[in-house]
Amino acid sequence: MSGSASEEAVTAPVALRSLRHSWWQHKSLVFGGAVLAIIVLIAIFAPLLSPHDPYTQNLARRTVPPVWYARGDWSHPLGTDPLGRDYLARLLYGSRISLLIGGSVALLSGLIGTVLGVAAGYFGGRVDMVVTFLITVRLALPVILVALAAVAVLGGSLPLVILVLGLLKWDRFAVVMRSATQTVRNLEYVSAAKAGGATTARVIWREILPNVAPFLIVTATLEAASAILLEAALSFLGLGVQPPLPSWGLMISEAKAYMLFSFWLIAIPGACLAVLILSINLLGDGLRDAISPDRTNI
Amino acid sequence: MTAFIIKRLILALFVGIAVSILSFGLVRMTGDVATAIAGEGARDEDIALVRETYGLDRPVIVQYFSWLGGLLKGDLGQSYFFKTDVAGLVFDKIQVTLTLGILSLLFALAISIPLGVVAALKPNSWIDRLALAIAVAGQALPNFFFALLLVMLFSITLRWLPASGTGSWKNYVMPTIALGYYVAPAFMRLIRAGMIETLSSDFIRTARAKGVSRPNVVIRHGLRNALVPVVALAVVQLGYLLGGSVVIETVFALDGLGYLAYQSITHKDLPVMQVVVLILSVLYVLLTLCADVLNAYLDPRLRASM
Amino acid sequence: MKHRLGVALLSAALLFGAAPAVTPALADKASNTIRFAYDQVPENIDPFFNNMRAGVIIAHHVWDTLVYRDPTTNEYKGQLAASWKQIDDKTIEFDLRRGVKFHDGTEFTADDVVFTLNFVSKPENKVTTQANVNWIDRAEKLDTYKVRLVTKETFPAAIEYLAGPVVIHPAKYYEKVGPRGMNEKPIGTGPFKVTSHVIGKSVVLERNADYFKDSPKPQPKVAKVDIRFIPDRQTQIAEVLSGGLDFIMNVPKDQAEQMANAPGFKTVAGETMRIAFLHFNSLPDGPVPAFRDVKVRQAINHAIDKDAIVKNLVGGGSRALTTPCFFSQFGCTDEGATKYPYDPAKARALLKEAGVSNLSFDFYVYRERSIAEALINYLQAAGIKANLRFMQYAAMRDQMRTNKAALGFQTWGSFSVNDVSASTPVYFGGSSDDISHDKEIQGLLKTGDSSVDPAVRKDAYKKALTLITERAYTVPLYSVPTYYVSSDALTFKAYPDELPRFWEMTWK
Repeated sequence: MSGSASEEAVTAPVALRSLRHSWWQHKSLVFGGAVLAIIVLIAIFAPLLSPHDPYTQNLARRTVPPVWYARGDWSHPLGTDPLGRDYLARLLYGSRISLLIGGSVALLSGLIGTVLGVAAGYFGGRVDMVVTFLITVRLALPVILVALAAVAVLGGSLPLVILVLGLLKWDRFAVVMRSATQTVRNLEYVSAAKAGGATTARVIWREILPNVAPFLIVTATLEAASAILLEAALSFLGLGVQPPLPSWGLMISEAKAYMLFSFWLIAIPGACLAVLILSINLLGDGLRDAISPDRTNI
Repeated sequence: MTAFIIKRLILALFVGIAVSILSFGLVRMTGDVATAIAGEGARDEDIALVRETYGLDRPVIVQYFSWLGGLLKGDLGQSYFFKTDVAGLVFDKIQVTLTLGILSLLFALAISIPLGVVAALKPNSWIDRLALAIAVAGQALPNFFFALLLVMLFSITLRWLPASGTGSWKNYVMPTIALGYYVAPAFMRLIRAGMIETLSSDFIRTARAKGVSRPNVVIRHGLRNALVPVVALAVVQLGYLLGGSVVIETVFALDGLGYLAYQSITHKDLPVMQVVVLILSVLYVLLTLCADVLNAYLDPRLRASM
Repeated sequence: MKHRLGVALLSAALLFGAAPAVTPALADKASNTIRFAYDQVPENIDPFFNNMRAGVIIAHHVWDTLVYRDPTTNEYKGQLAASWKQIDDKTIEFDLRRGVKFHDGTEFTADDVVFTLNFVSKPENKVTTQANVNWIDRAEKLDTYKVRLVTKETFPAAIEYLAGPVVIHPAKYYEKVGPRGMNEKPIGTGPFKVTSHVIGKSVVLERNADYFKDSPKPQPKVAKVDIRFIPDRQTQIAEVLSGGLDFIMNVPKDQAEQMANAPGFKTVAGETMRIAFLHFNSLPDGPVPAFRDVKVRQAINHAIDKDAIVKNLVGGGSRALTTPCFFSQFGCTDEGATKYPYDPAKARALLKEAGVSNLSFDFYVYRERSIAEALINYLQAAGIKANLRFMQYAAMRDQMRTNKAALGFQTWGSFSVNDVSASTPVYFGGSSDDISHDKEIQGLLKTGDSSVDPAVRKDAYKKALTLITERAYTVPLYSVPTYYVSSDALTFKAYPDELPRFWEMTWK
């Protein structure tokens, strides 16, 4: 659940200055990065790691509890879901969906936000006015509500959820990129490149983008986490990706009905989702702090 | 100052118009509205009847302007589903959502101010790290999941609080915690950073050198300065809380705007949908307007530059 | 860092350890109130202006109908009508009961019947479900307690409809306030009166102390029924467990079974009239050409293990179906119908015979998502790929009717009308929901719907059902059960018409 973009942009530098030198911030980068890397590896090698097919049902073995319960056994280490599908397999394959959603939404919204933000920051004037207006309009729209309505109307599928979230979540990219570009634009070597007769496209591509890239990466990281949570919320309300895809958000939603009596069904994907978000956030925070001092005062 | 406010008001107006177009357009994508209204068991005749009754056979532009014209006259339209005035339907719910929003904000401030201050007094101590860890770990937990855990603990196991509903103050306790918890970290970081900055500034050091006692310094000087940006953030966050209350209101069946919005989405009740999106957006615009003005008022540098 | 990890571990421990200890409910028997919740909100509680189950439930408590159908014997009894007789094919005459009073104290007379029936039958008054009333031509007053009803065509199911959705409103009041006023302050003759209605949120029913003694509905035992609309089933269950509700229905099977084991609660399962079936689009211009081949449709019939689905997923009181209708409905029969036992090998063989391989299509679903997933799994085992498209009912029906969907997972509750005219013909009788357009079947159903001779009707329906199954236009699946969960101290009975009867419920 992210706050508003403007707040983050205002407060980050102050917070950074005071935290930059604390040793454990770098640890958080390493830790977050390591956990995320493990999850990514799991996602890539899911077919090798998985004991069963995540889609194969067995109606005779429904809702078998995990191995640490009395009724559990090692054939299904994390038990089975209410359709008799192996829970571990679904969880492993589910990491792919969550990462795909986080990554694609960050990519799509990052693209939109960067184009708008860099344009606004670089050209200023009218362009900046229009982009600022677009950002304000976008911020005024309640994201969850609009996403819910769009998905409810258009039918809910993985590509659609990615598209809807991608089209909604570009605001923070635009805000961050805009202020980053404004600062970089006035740096000496950029002015020098401009004076040297470089084309606008070349200046933006060669001088501006490399300099604002670190902020883009930090924003993308945090926005990916927020997108994964949003998808989970949509799925929780029954309007996210559709079964039988094993998205973690969807698994939580499907397990909701069972939470009072078979708590592990909701706790396992819930905990996995929390660990994933935690690792991405730690990585993002760590990255933000690792960005060198002269670039943080934006 | 006046010029600034007028400029802001004009911007707000344009944003309002843009939002009205968007919310109108959004719900128009819903495919065949008439079929949705007619519901299960309806036959072709029923659907044709609905289409005619609600003017759904008119061009979209005409539908938009007739809706906007109605809005300006205070007529928010008729709910397709409940067949009553949207205004009456929405009015009670705004109060519920505002109450929840303000309570959540107060809750967030109530936990973030002490934690932020303590963390700032001993940066990088175990207290500081614990406070941050609570914030980081908490933000990783999906809020509907957190809300369900609260229900399990307080409603089912302890039976202290009702699991759903709107009737009494008890209905607000869990939604407030679940919603407020998620904005607390933003405040905590802001207060912590602000405190550290002011406490290390020259005038505080001077004050302490002059022998002003430590708690006095912290409260009178440090906190007061650190709270300046918090006020503006609080106003903006309130707007965010109002928009983000959909999930929490739905989990607790708390009868506010968010819950109404969710229900109208499932009922394909366009007029209600549009009005809720519009109200939340306009509230957000107004709140950011307030925040800008407050910011300008509180921050002398900004005030001077206007 | 260590601390952060510690907190993470602690939260994890909390997650896994937080499963609640369930304690018995403190039922609301002291105030003799039943607190009930339903997941759908009726848009208007005037029974003619909603088409939801919650609305039907409220309708039967607040209002009365001319005729009453005994839910156990299916025998018709007089309710607001003391007696009736068929005058000719299209005319029925009713002798009304005397001394019945509406909740506002006005006396019930022929004027109320005449006004209500004439009002609702006019299309311009926009009754939500036209099928419930559009068979009525007019009502005429003969004297204060005598009414004649004329149908547009021969309509053998008239009495059934008059015992179900067609309630009687107070003429003067209804004329004045209309459906909207009726929603805000409902007035009927029924055993309960509405004392509060917060739109979209709650309805409070209180016992009608003056309820007429001769009604086939008994005098209510409970003083109050508190109805709340809670869309989320999970929230409803949490409310029951935390003592905030006494009675809920439509609880999913697994939860109902778990609640049955929780001390202080009980679960009652009841079969209902609602049927579930798969519906093929076999039209010449349909989206999946393979479905035009009867062998492919038969293959899909063979690919699905209905019995396993009924046993494992649907459960209590449900039965596997052979024909697309509910067995208690007049004219519904299995006799002569083609049966398709579960046989994946045969399914594959039939597909091969039809020359179809790699069959793949979108499968449209609006409820019972987990059962749909199980169906997809069976199809996959037979080498057929069905992609789940889950959506709102209206959206799905739109796709079905506009020839875009090839296979839909339908359920149909027949409005609790105990006559095949309310089920099979809806999907095979040539209306817009008919996506096979089999002229022979349409003709047979038409004969069944409009004949007055029960033997002729039965025979026509039987022939139609035989052809429908033989030509495999559908995969009849199962009858949908309803699970009720309540506090142990509440006594109630489940009926196939999905209608809880609060007037006969008691607290132990």
